[in-house]
Amino acid sequence: MAPPSRPSLPSLPKSSPEVSPEDSQGFSYLRRLLLAPEQTELERLRGRLEQFTLQPQDVGRVLPDAIRLRAKQDSRLLASMIPITQEALSLSIKQSPQLISDSIAPILGSAIRKAIAHAIREMVQSLHQALEDSMSWRGLLWRWEAIRTGKSFAEVVLLHTLRFRVEQVFLIHKKTGLLLNHVVAEGVSGQGEEVISGMLTAIQDFVRDSFGQPQDQGLESLRIGDLTVWIEQGSGAILAGVIRGAPPMELREVFQETLETIHAQFSELLQAFKGDATAFQETRLPLEDCLQAQFEKTPQGLPLVFWILLGLLLLGVGIWAVQARLDHQRWVQLVERVGQEPGMVVTSVQEQGSKTIFYGLRDPLAINPEQILLDFGYSSDQAVFRLTPFMDLTPEFIHRRAMIQLRPPSSVVVSWEGTALILAGEASHAWIQQTQLVGPLIPGVTLIQMGQLVDTDLNQFETLKAKLEGEAIRFRPGKSSLSQDQRSSILRISETLQEIDRTATILNITPHIYIQGFTSPEGGKEINRPLSLLRSKTVLNELAIGSVRAINLQTIGMGPTAVDEPLSPTGIGVSQGRQVGFQVVVAPDRASESRQ
Amino acid sequence: MKEQGVVQKKVCMLGGFAVGKTSLVKRFVTGQFSEKYHTTIGVKIDQKSQRVDDTEMLLVLWDVYGEDDFQKVRASYLQGSAGYLLVIDGTRKETVEVARQLHTLAVQTMGPVPYVLVINKYDLKESWQVEPIIYEDLARNACLVLQSSAKTGEGVEVAFAELAKQMLKV
Repeated sequence: MAPPSRPSLPSLPKSSPEVSPEDSQGFSYLRRLLLAPEQTELERLRGRLEQFTLQPQDVGRVLPDAIRLRAKQDSRLLASMIPITQEALSLSIKQSPQLISDSIAPILGSAIRKAIAHAIREMVQSLHQALEDSMSWRGLLWRWEAIRTGKSFAEVVLLHTLRFRVEQVFLIHKKTGLLLNHVVAEGVSGQGEEVISGMLTAIQDFVRDSFGQPQDQGLESLRIGDLTVWIEQGSGAILAGVIRGAPPMELREVFQETLETIHAQFSELLQAFKGDATAFQETRLPLEDCLQAQFEKTPQGLPLVFWILLGLLLLGVGIWAVQARLDHQRWVQLVERVGQEPGMVVTSVQEQGSKTIFYGLRDPLAINPEQILLDFGYSSDQAVFRLTPFMDLTPEFIHRRAMIQLRPPSSVVVSWEGTALILAGEASHAWIQQTQLVGPLIPGVTLIQMGQLVDTDLNQFETLKAKLEGEAIRFRPGKSSLSQDQRSSILRISETLQEIDRTATILNITPHIYIQGFTSPEGGKEINRPLSLLRSKTVLNELAIGSVRAINLQTIGMGPTAVDEPLSPTGIGVSQGRQVGFQVVVAPDRASESRQ
Repeated sequence: MKEQGVVQKKVCMLGGFAVGKTSLVKRFVTGQFSEKYHTTIGVKIDQKSQRVDDTEMLLVLWDVYGEDDFQKVRASYLQGSAGYLLVIDGTRKETVEVARQLHTLAVQTMGPVPYVLVINKYDLKESWQVEPIIYEDLARNACLVLQSSAKTGEGVEVAFAELAKQMLKV
């Protein structure tokens, strides 16, 4: 663009040398008088032009319109802005990644969701197709074909089900035959595409020259076997698609539209192409849109094998569901059983990982909860009991606790009236005493009735007492020595005394046994009393009882009668004639104590 | 997909029949296509990567079938070339004239693009028939004139490297 030319000023007549200074001043005065406004304006404009600089405000006013108008003309402005925009975007991402992230997140989120949905649809379709191909009769035939021909199964399936697939797309610079861009379908490997690009161009040139066709004409299609190459001609570029199968004519339109789009966007770059195809990387997306494929529609309905598999699956699920239901019921029953178990209170049941934990209370006399687990077929790995010990005061546990603590012998009959314990039958004196001590301390036991309980040791004592008191050792008249025939009685009495001593020890009593000597009424009082005492002492001396712990032996000379003198502590005097008898006396209070 | 930053250039191999163009290309690249393309469509295409300073180049070599009485070089094959190798057989004087005609065709088709003048079959120097004075006019505008031998490989790499360098300058 040429620089703005300076506006020419009206030329003023130069003052001639003949003009005097006075005339010159007058002329200037006249000029000011006539042209003063114009001259002032002229001076202002001159000053502005001489100091002209482009102000940002001036550019700002015209910039939006200038960009819009320039963009209408061609895409050069757009092309020149691409590298600046890319660099600015790159710098912006480096400096403020969060800003960019926030800006594109709404778009990306939607795009990702769409992509995932698409991928899932494809996966389901692929699974369905794989089932169809693998399990159907047709699939088996294809598998056999694959084995027979040495091809892969996938290849055979593709050959039979593929209607068409665009495997490769070449974008070729028309003038040079150089490759601008190249895309391939998934699973297809491209090789030597630059050379293929050149050969495609050469073949076109060859055919065009051979048949005298003009430059804008060219090959539209090449075909070999099931491969077809469709070529679309543009003014600056050629689009060639390598297609397997029989493509529909609609695909032509796709190729044409793609090529037109590329020409619209890259026309200047195509004209100025000098071998660097970097700028044409942006054609990748439209070219990939050309990588279309169409397969045979799968028959309606699903193969029998699918239904069999589905049936088996449902059967498996059903069995699993029934089993799960039974397991659940068993588990519920277990929980109920634990909750209802006497002596056990479940306050909460919690799941922790694969274990169930029971919290609550348990009487130590209650059943071991792990035994319940085993009864229901569970192991201790599946449930844990965290039960705090407590005392169950229901009658059942009071009874159980009483039986454990008292341990009654088999001769004792135990019965309950509520929480009152009734004992009957026979028991040893020691057990009765223990029961009297411990029984009231058992929690929950309100009363112990022992009225019907017989003390076997006390009975024994009474029997022995009666036996001893029935014994009598006889003497000859006037004699205090024992005759031989009384020796056996002495031995028997000695044994009885030892038994009484043993029983009294058990009963914890001290019975007084009086050995009472008697005389006949014959003779005088002075003779009979000493004689009777002597006789009792003789018997005491003869008794072979060794050491005794409980009993207290005492000799008494009763004389001929007991009426005259009360010689026994009981006041009972019985004349037995010339003999010695026995009387057992237990203090009434001690006897009654031991009886209770 | 195209590699980024690689500059592609179309290069034509021009010369008379049996001057050794295909042998020179063979020395330079590992071919992909059969030579029968020469007799079918009159051209065989190969490619070779070449680095010039920091620039990675891909030379797409159009080995155009040698012009003889039976087959003429198709001008359309020369279109879009960024440079060419003009090959003369040093043992056959008549190949200079064929080269001259092809050079004229190239200038008409491609315009003034860089080219390297190669006097081939230097390994048969004892039966040399071509003197520099004969091809002086062809050498005048060439960016490089050299003697080569496809048999020994002499001069081959240099010829392509120099042509690549000159093409990059244009």
